[in-house]
Amino acid sequence: MTTVALLDSARAPLTAQPYYEQGDPGPIVAALAHVPEVLDVALPFIGTLLGESAIDLRTKELVILRTSALLECRYCVQTHTVVARDAAVSLHQVRALRCEISLKEAFDDLRDQALLAWVDAVALGPGTPAETAAATLAEQFCDADIVELTLLVGATLMLNRFATSLGLPTSAATLQRLATEGLT
Amino acid sequence: MSIGVAEAVATGQMSGRVWMYSNYHCNLACSYCLTESAPKVPARLLDAQRMRRVVHEAAELGFTGIGITGGEPFLLRELPGLLAEFGQILPVVVLTNATLFSPGLLRRMAPLAELPVRVQISLDRPDPVANDEMRGPENFRNVVEAIPRLVELGIGVRIATTLEHDEIRRGPTDDHERLCALHRQLGVSDDDHVIRPIVARGRALSQGMGVTATRDDLEPELTITNDGAFWNPFAPTVVDGRLDTDLLLTRTTTPLRTPAAAMLRLISGRPAGTDSTLGIR
Repeated sequence: MTTVALLDSARAPLTAQPYYEQGDPGPIVAALAHVPEVLDVALPFIGTLLGESAIDLRTKELVILRTSALLECRYCVQTHTVVARDAAVSLHQVRALRCEISLKEAFDDLRDQALLAWVDAVALGPGTPAETAAATLAEQFCDADIVELTLLVGATLMLNRFATSLGLPTSAATLQRLATEGLT
Repeated sequence: MSIGVAEAVATGQMSGRVWMYSNYHCNLACSYCLTESAPKVPARLLDAQRMRRVVHEAAELGFTGIGITGGEPFLLRELPGLLAEFGQILPVVVLTNATLFSPGLLRRMAPLAELPVRVQISLDRPDPVANDEMRGPENFRNVVEAIPRLVELGIGVRIATTLEHDEIRRGPTDDHERLCALHRQLGVSDDDHVIRPIVARGRALSQGMGVTATRDDLEPELTITNDGAFWNPFAPTVVDGRLDTDLLLTRTTTPLRTPAAAMLRLISGRPAGTDSTLGIR
């Protein structure tokens, strides 16, 4: 049960209508549409961070799915399990990101390991991440990547708490896809 | 923003008037009310400080007038004083059912005669029975008593008649002629008589009344409520107790430049007069 009404196209404010032009924009937009001036700045921000950029989508999905699993965000875990699979993350790796098996079992690439250690440190906090995690990350990624990936963890945390607190529903298509892949 | 408020107003792309819903509650419960206003509905008050800020910022941005509506604005005891304040900044029109103009209230309104503050009063029919059927008992009597008193004080009065769209399209009827004779007799000229269609929103929609009005039928006329800023005063309607959000611009009302900028973005490239299809102004 969602905490707030999710606005459909008929109830969406004038200033939110562009987000509905391609059909159902999903529950995050349908909730944010209550405050269209926030939607207007949040969506480009989220889209820029989560979408294609100098960092490939697979790397981003490792960050998003892992963070969401650590925060136990049902909506984001389910939704980004599908996105991660589409971004060439293996089923085995998805299970590890979702905390179902250990990361060591699924990730043998040093770059992935450094990134996931950083994600765990940033997402779980509190306080400054361990210097070893930062140093290992810096061996694998440039400063610009570190900035973007760290901000991606932060944005995912924000979305995790937003989706979980409001009880946003997972789409039927996503649930069907998860069932097909033997995931929930 | 690509153009400013003053330019958009000067070119007729948007109205120069900023409307404020001072409150949503009302001593009447008219059958076609856009906002389901009635004595016991949530008041949704726009507090005095917020209204003051809107008026000041409206003047700074280049708006040219203020409108106050409700609900019944005169249920707010401080309204005459606020109208006097606002009238020193921008011309004001306040909409009312004119049923609350006691001698005491009229005394407090007397200073408004010196200011560009006008009172727009709803009067739909020239007969008490037909008028009060839609608007409630004693409405007609109260209105015809109040208008001459306001005119006598020197306060500008406009009459607003709200009818089904089909009735307006059929042209003047005997009722219309008698209504015009009545308002002239009460001291209100033809120039100060506006006729508007019932819009199928709010209680009118629930009652199967009114004409459908989309965004393109409604003049861009920035409207501030306690719930946010809207496209037009016909926008922040209520159905079954739930606020309509389809014509919401922003939840932010102040600073006024936030909803004004949203409005300007929406009207960019929109020809002046696009809203004239239903004559709702």
